[in-house]
Amino acid sequence: MNTHDPIVGRYVYVQCEGKTYRTYYEEHGEGIPLVCLHTAGTDGRQYRHQLCDPDIAQNFRVIAFDLPWHGKSIPPSDFYLMEDEYKLTTRFYCEFIVAFCRALDLTKPVVMGQSMGGNVCLALALKYENEFSALIALEACDYSPGWWIDPLHHPHIHGGEVVATSVFGLMSPESPDEYRWETWWYYAQGGPGIFKGDLYFYSVDSDFRDQCQKISGKLPIFFLTGEYDFACTPEMTERTAEKVRNSECIIFGGGHFPTSEDPAKFKEVITPVLKKILGLDPERRGQGGARAGVTDLRSGGRSERPAGRRVIDL
Amino acid sequence: MSRSGSSRKSFDLEWIERWARCVNDDRILPVIGRFFTSRFVLGVDETEYLIEVRGGKIQRIAEGLTPNDLGYDFGLKAPSSAWMKFSQRIPPPMFNDIWAMAHPLHRQLIIEGNTLPFWQNLRALTRMLSLMRQV
Repeated sequence: MNTHDPIVGRYVYVQCEGKTYRTYYEEHGEGIPLVCLHTAGTDGRQYRHQLCDPDIAQNFRVIAFDLPWHGKSIPPSDFYLMEDEYKLTTRFYCEFIVAFCRALDLTKPVVMGQSMGGNVCLALALKYENEFSALIALEACDYSPGWWIDPLHHPHIHGGEVVATSVFGLMSPESPDEYRWETWWYYAQGGPGIFKGDLYFYSVDSDFRDQCQKISGKLPIFFLTGEYDFACTPEMTERTAEKVRNSECIIFGGGHFPTSEDPAKFKEVITPVLKKILGLDPERRGQGGARAGVTDLRSGGRSERPAGRRVIDL
Repeated sequence: MSRSGSSRKSFDLEWIERWARCVNDDRILPVIGRFFTSRFVLGVDETEYLIEVRGGKIQRIAEGLTPNDLGYDFGLKAPSSAWMKFSQRIPPPMFNDIWAMAHPLHRQLIIEGNTLPFWQNLRALTRMLSLMRQV
């Protein structure tokens, strides 16, 4: 019998800033919507392990979308007429996330983003706190300078190789080689200039150092950063979390791409966070969780069939 | 192990030679470094080692620079304390990668000269330098 992942992929048309974006997303699970934001220059495949995880899927509808220009989402149709290079702005990024959630009729989703997807959580908390129920900011801080540089998009330099290799050292040397190189591969596949353009948001347009204190605290925010992250060090996350009301900060022995570079380790660190979010929002947990009663989130790995499914052999 | 452990601390020419032989024994570099031809300097404290690379293999190493070298393409210069951490089997955070060490947030390593060939060959160079962990 053939083996399939339980993930389902679809395209949705998202309106944002006067344009329509055919947007690819993948999902699995039921319960609280958990919208996952990929890192700069890559796509939702970074969440493939979490999308397949039966323990998470019991209580969360896990959704990972590809931003316009990324993965299987295409650029706007007139991109070839642009008079400036591609640059992701804080405004567009926030508005697109909100527009995507509305396009899927999601009610108060949890957002989990890593790297630039983690940093944008601060902007969401500042401007869109009523749209979400919790934020999980992986490898996030209030200011990440130094990455909007020309070598990452230069006609004399192989974009895929340089982009992927420039982020390789952000991973823990103790993360499994298989997954570190899979993460490298995602980066190598980005469109020309997209990684650099995303880093315009990451390093230039999103300086929240003077804004963190303005976050109301209405939304719980969980910061998680790996000790090998040299773009957003544990100290940078800790300093940020100290300024943000109703936040928690967890430092763990990993790197900048926890969801894809070491999914087993990530499961250990994210499980208590997801339990807390469930505790804050018990009535929205998935049917799988309700049937199963106490969810055993300790079991590792993915399953080939949805957890919580009752099977009787006769 | 003790021999390599003690000589690693000095990062002398003999240590550089062992690393260069390790590079030339590598079976991946001839593939990913096929077009990596360059002359770069590895700076350890005040000592400069000129490394001449052709097709991903190190052809020549030299301690110190002379006028006859006519310069070099790019230099990677760091204190021996930083190279020491970088070359550990499991290097500590912020020292596990040359771009990590060179990033403006950390500034443990200086990339100088013409950085275009540095970026062009980053994948092969990263592999090459990571073999310091096997010396």
